[in-house]
Amino acid sequence: MFAHGILRSARASLLAGGVATGLLAAALAAPAMAQETIKIGAPLALTGGLADEGHKQDVVWKMWVEKINAAGGIQVGDKKLKVELIEYDYQSEGQRASQLAEKLINDDKVQFLFSPFGSGHTKIVAGVGERYQVPTIACVASSESVYDQTLKYLFGTLSPNGGMTTAMVKFFKEKFPETKSIAVLGRDDVFPKSMAEGIAKAAEAGGLTVAYKELYPVGTMDHAAALSSIKAAKPDWIYITGYTQDLILARKQMQDLGITAPIVTMVTGPSYTEFTQGLGPLANGISSSSWWHHLTTYEGQGVWPTTAAFYEDFKARTKGDPDYVHGSCAAAGEVIVDALARAGSLDKAKVRDAIAATDIQTFYGPIKFGPNGMNLSRELPIIQVQDGAIKVLAPAAIKNADMIAMP
Amino acid sequence: MAIYLQILSNGLMLGALYACLAVGFSLVWGVLNVINMLHGSFIILGGYLTFFAWHLYGIHPVVMLPIVAALMFALGFTLQKLVINRVVSAPVLTTLTLTFGLDMILYNAMTYWFTATPRRITLDLGAVHLGSVVLPVDRLIGTGLALAMTLLLYAVMRGSTIGRAIVAVRMDRSAAELMGIRTDRIYAITFGIGALMAGVAGVVFATVFPITTNVTGIWLGKAFVVCVVGGLGSVPGALVGGLVLGLVESFAGHWFGPQQAITAGFVLMLVLLLTRPTGLVGVRGYE
Repeated sequence: MFAHGILRSARASLLAGGVATGLLAAALAAPAMAQETIKIGAPLALTGGLADEGHKQDVVWKMWVEKINAAGGIQVGDKKLKVELIEYDYQSEGQRASQLAEKLINDDKVQFLFSPFGSGHTKIVAGVGERYQVPTIACVASSESVYDQTLKYLFGTLSPNGGMTTAMVKFFKEKFPETKSIAVLGRDDVFPKSMAEGIAKAAEAGGLTVAYKELYPVGTMDHAAALSSIKAAKPDWIYITGYTQDLILARKQMQDLGITAPIVTMVTGPSYTEFTQGLGPLANGISSSSWWHHLTTYEGQGVWPTTAAFYEDFKARTKGDPDYVHGSCAAAGEVIVDALARAGSLDKAKVRDAIAATDIQTFYGPIKFGPNGMNLSRELPIIQVQDGAIKVLAPAAIKNADMIAMP
Repeated sequence: MAIYLQILSNGLMLGALYACLAVGFSLVWGVLNVINMLHGSFIILGGYLTFFAWHLYGIHPVVMLPIVAALMFALGFTLQKLVINRVVSAPVLTTLTLTFGLDMILYNAMTYWFTATPRRITLDLGAVHLGSVVLPVDRLIGTGLALAMTLLLYAVMRGSTIGRAIVAVRMDRSAAELMGIRTDRIYAITFGIGALMAGVAGVVFATVFPITTNVTGIWLGKAFVVCVVGGLGSVPGALVGGLVLGLVESFAGHWFGPQQAITAGFVLMLVLLLTRPTGLVGVRGYE
């Protein structure tokens, strides 16, 4: 680890060479785009640890840009302007995300930023956007701590994590009234930690005993010790947060060590198909919450008038099902379209105020920003894996299965 | 009491897996004086080979074990022969930088081909119950394999001509050359064995841990700690280091919470570096 640590910066600078080559190519191609366009910059994790998430953002943004340009572009005042999306790979390294955000603003002169995956990296990119007063739309950052920095130019399409905890405690207590205690194990990282702390608070407020609550550090490759302690605490509900690889390992070790509970929740595991594929039958019964599910039936403005229209388009393009990352990021573009139409100009301050006043319906659901720039709370889907498929348990309007106990 | 027995067995099984991943790393470091930054990626490559053979063609990981071992040996041998041998007698920083560069190529190529999606062989073998202690079968197999590989390596180093030649080169390269040993070839074989051991660890890990390029650095770091704890220059060093690290992490996780488990491993490493730089069973002169 030590030697690897020393060489992290070496890896960074060597990789920077590759980026520079890419940037040069982009710069050479730039003069071809002579007519006025709306430029959106996106530092993306296309390689490295967050590559999967980065590619999800990439695919829907490209879909959206194609659709909007095919329709003539975005209306700004009396002109219709085409959209140009400029993406750079920041290789999942926060430091580089910040450098590339600066480059996008200073060299490429982007008018908007799309922030990358995760609360941590969003915080970094939003800081740069704020400095240059470039509106930044974050589609995969839900930790309120990111929006607590009084950033005036940051807006997020996910609603606060809080919406996922209180409602879940209430729902599970209704379905399993004998639930008395919860064990919480969370990854020590911005989002998973805030969810772990949020659920413990919500559970206590809801009258449950928190029988175990610990965080595990990034890089943990064995959960046996924590799980053995959880087993000794005999909770009715086990709640684990982390990235997909952590959760797959934790579930596997729960099985190995014979640990179970009537309710097992993993966040955000089942929201991703990688989780159910990686676990196979072991995924069955695991519940979770999500910000969006393609079974929802929203209607509204934008290139996709309904959730179904987006789903069909996405399915045709990728052969897979979209998850909340796809939904939220595709909707981020609509925020810009709507704000520009109302602002009638590209003036930074006007556009920023127009975004703050957003109140629209989209295929992804309503988007209306609170005072901190986050999308307002709404009922978020509670999901469960049943026979290898994702079922929606709540809210009642889109429910397609009843909750089952862990097999 | 029951929980302590469980934590003890968790620690021993985890430790054996750590030993399994570090044996090859320790050998290459001890003999070639090369800190092989590729080691973590080699493990994951072995894991991917196993995963795809199972996922696409239904080949059982046990069948893949010798195949992966042979392929990884060939890869390691070729790399050493064609690339690393050119700088092998240069200071350690040069070889470190070289293997680091090679690691970047392999790591990024794997991320590009396989993506970073965590994959797992869903071949759940169940668990053995000994009273209140639960022993997962795949980890038991991993433990057995780690012990077997270490013993095998020990036997090869002690009893075979190649093994004696490797030991001779480790002791004194010039003298070994004068005795007619082709050191370039011995280096290539040693590096091949190192890669082979990493590949075998990858096969075992594919059934126990999710396989993703995200964790190459973590495994490399563990190999490093195991070697420092156990000591270089002796085959049992990796085994002792692995078991001690597994036990320390396991008990620290229980007593101080999972957040401190990894820290405890590094604290142990620091204490040993200060008090016993040769590691627990290392040979003087290789620290």
